[in-house]
Amino acid sequence: MSTKTRYFVAISGAILAIGLGTGLVASYMGFPVSVFSTAAGPDELQYVPADAAVVAYANIREVMNSDLRQRFKDIGPTTDQKNEFEEKTGLDFEEDIDSVVLAVTGSVANQPQKSFLVLGKGRYDAARLEALAIEHGAQATDYQGKRILMHTDQNSSGDPNHEDVAVGFVEADLVAFGNLAMVKASIDARRENRNIVSNNDMMKLVNELDNSNAWAVGRFDAIAQQANLPSEVQAYMPQITWFSAAGHINGGVSGQFKAEAKDEQSAQNLRDVLGGFLAMARMQAANKPALQQLADSMILSGDGKTVALSFSIPTEVLDVLESLAKGRQGVVQQ
Amino acid sequence: MTTGARMSFTTAARRVFDLSLGEMLWSRRTIFMALVVAGPVLLALIARGVEVFGMSALRVNGRPVPGFSIFGVMIWSLYLFFIVPVLGLFYGTALMADEVEDKTITYLFTRPVARGAVLVGKYLAYLACTILVVLPSVMIVYFMLVPFSQLPSTFGNLVIDLGLLALGLAVYGALFAFVGAFFKRPLLIGLVYTFGFQQTVLALPGSLKQFTVAFYMNALVPHVMPSDGVSSLLQSMFKENPPLWVCLFWLFAILAGFLYLATRVVERKEYILEQ
Repeated sequence: MSTKTRYFVAISGAILAIGLGTGLVASYMGFPVSVFSTAAGPDELQYVPADAAVVAYANIREVMNSDLRQRFKDIGPTTDQKNEFEEKTGLDFEEDIDSVVLAVTGSVANQPQKSFLVLGKGRYDAARLEALAIEHGAQATDYQGKRILMHTDQNSSGDPNHEDVAVGFVEADLVAFGNLAMVKASIDARRENRNIVSNNDMMKLVNELDNSNAWAVGRFDAIAQQANLPSEVQAYMPQITWFSAAGHINGGVSGQFKAEAKDEQSAQNLRDVLGGFLAMARMQAANKPALQQLADSMILSGDGKTVALSFSIPTEVLDVLESLAKGRQGVVQQ
Repeated sequence: MTTGARMSFTTAARRVFDLSLGEMLWSRRTIFMALVVAGPVLLALIARGVEVFGMSALRVNGRPVPGFSIFGVMIWSLYLFFIVPVLGLFYGTALMADEVEDKTITYLFTRPVARGAVLVGKYLAYLACTILVVLPSVMIVYFMLVPFSQLPSTFGNLVIDLGLLALGLAVYGALFAFVGAFFKRPLLIGLVYTFGFQQTVLALPGSLKQFTVAFYMNALVPHVMPSDGVSSLLQSMFKENPPLWVCLFWLFAILAGFLYLATRVVERKEYILEQ
C-alpha cells in the first residue's frame, strides 16, 4: 500500500471515527435542548406547570390580521352582539387579544374542568373587569402578590368535584383563567421556575416548530383520555406517545401533524397506512381540481419513530368554503 | 513466488487486495466516484449556507423541512437509489472486465494463485475503496444538515444508514462481480437490471419484487420513502416490509451466493483476449 493510499485510508477512517464518536457521546449524554439554543415558544410558557400533558398556542393577532380572516370576516358575529360584550368587559377580541396559550395537565386528566389553564396575552382594563366580576358575585383575593378573581357557583356548593373558577392577573398584559388550583399552580410555576420550559420532552417538540401561528404539542394518551374514546377504538389506535400539530394561517392554511410512535415498527405501520390513504385520496381526487391540489399538498414524511403529515389548503378550496358559508348566511338572513 | 509454490487462497486474496486498493483509489474511475459522492456534500453545504442566512433550505407547503428529514430524502434519493447501485455496477462489473480489456489478465492468471482469489481480492479492494469514500461523505452530510441538538434522537438512524449503505455496496458489488465475470455486456445488463427491472417490479403488486436487492434494502431504511413522483408513489403503495431477519438473510445470501458464483465463473471461464 503506497503512502498516499495510507493517508487516504487514515483520513476517511478519522472522519468516520470522529463522527461516530461525537454521535455516541451525544446519545449517551443526551444534550438538553437548552444547551444549544434559547428556549423556544412564547414567554407565557413560563406560567405553564411543568407537568402539563398538552400545550397549545395561537397567535390571535396574526390570525385576525390574516388575509383568510379578512375573507371570512363578514360571516362572524354581528356588530351589535360584539358591542354588547365590549360594553360590559371593555374587551374587543379582535383588537385587544394578542395570543392565547392553553395547557392541559395530565394529573387530573379524567376531570377536564379541573385540568385546563388558559393564558391570554393582550390589553385588559383590570379594574373594570374586577368591578364587573364582583358585581356578578365574584370575590377578589391576592396570591403571591398577584390579583385573583374567583367565582363560586352557589348551586354546586355540595358537589365534592366542584372547583372555583378563577381569573388571575399574573402580569400587566397576561391573565390566567382556569380553576383556582390551576391559576395558583401557574403563578407558582413562574415564581419557582418549575415550568414547562424545564420539561425537555415537551420543549424538544416546541423547538421543532417554526413559523407557525397556531400549534399544539403533548402526550397523545392525554388527548385520547380526554376524548373518551371507546376502548375498542383505543385498542386499534397506533401506539403513539407524543404528537405535535402546527399550522400557519395567512392567505391560506398550511400545517403539519407529527407523531412519535412507541417503536419504529409502529411508526412504519402508521406511515404505510397513511401512505395508502394518501395514494387513494390522490386517485379519488383526480377529476376534482380543488381537491386534487389539496391531496397533492399532503406530504407524508418521518424517520425512525416519527410520522409527519404536512398539508396546505389551496385557495380553490377556500373559495368553495367561502361561497358555501355566504350562501348559508344568505338563507338565514332571508 | 519464484519457486512457483501456490499461495493459499487467503494470502493470495490479501496480496491482490493490497495491489488493487491503490490502483482503484487512484484510477480515473475514482474521479467519477468522487464527483458522485461530492454531489450530496455540495447540496448539504448549500443547505447549510442558506440556513446561516436565516432562510430555510427546503420548504414544503410553506413550512421549513427539518434537517434530518432532508438527510432522509438524500439517503433515499441519492445514496440508496443512485450512488450505491451505480458504484456497485461500475466497479463490480469492471473487476475482471478491466483486466480483460487491458489484456493484463494473463499476467494475473499466470501467477501461482487461485483465480478465485484474484476476484475476491479485487472485490475486497472495491469494498474498502467505496466504503472509505461513501461513508465519510454520508457522515459529512449528516453533520451539515442535522442540528447538534437533534444528535441524540437521530444518531441511531445514522448508524443504521451507514451499515445499510455498506451492506448495499457489498451486495451490489457481489452481484455485479458475477455479472461482470459471466456476461459479455455486463454494464448494459446491470443498468437494465438496476434502473429497469428493479424499479418496475417495485412499483407493481406481486412477488416478483422479491428477486431484487432493493426490495430487501428498502425495508431496512429508517426514513420514510419520499413520494414525489408517480414511480415512487406506486413504490410506496406496494412497499412491503419483510421482517429484519428475512431481509438480512436474503441480502447476505445474495452476497455470498453471487460472490461464490463469480469465483466459480472466473475459475472455469476461458478468457480469450481479442487481438
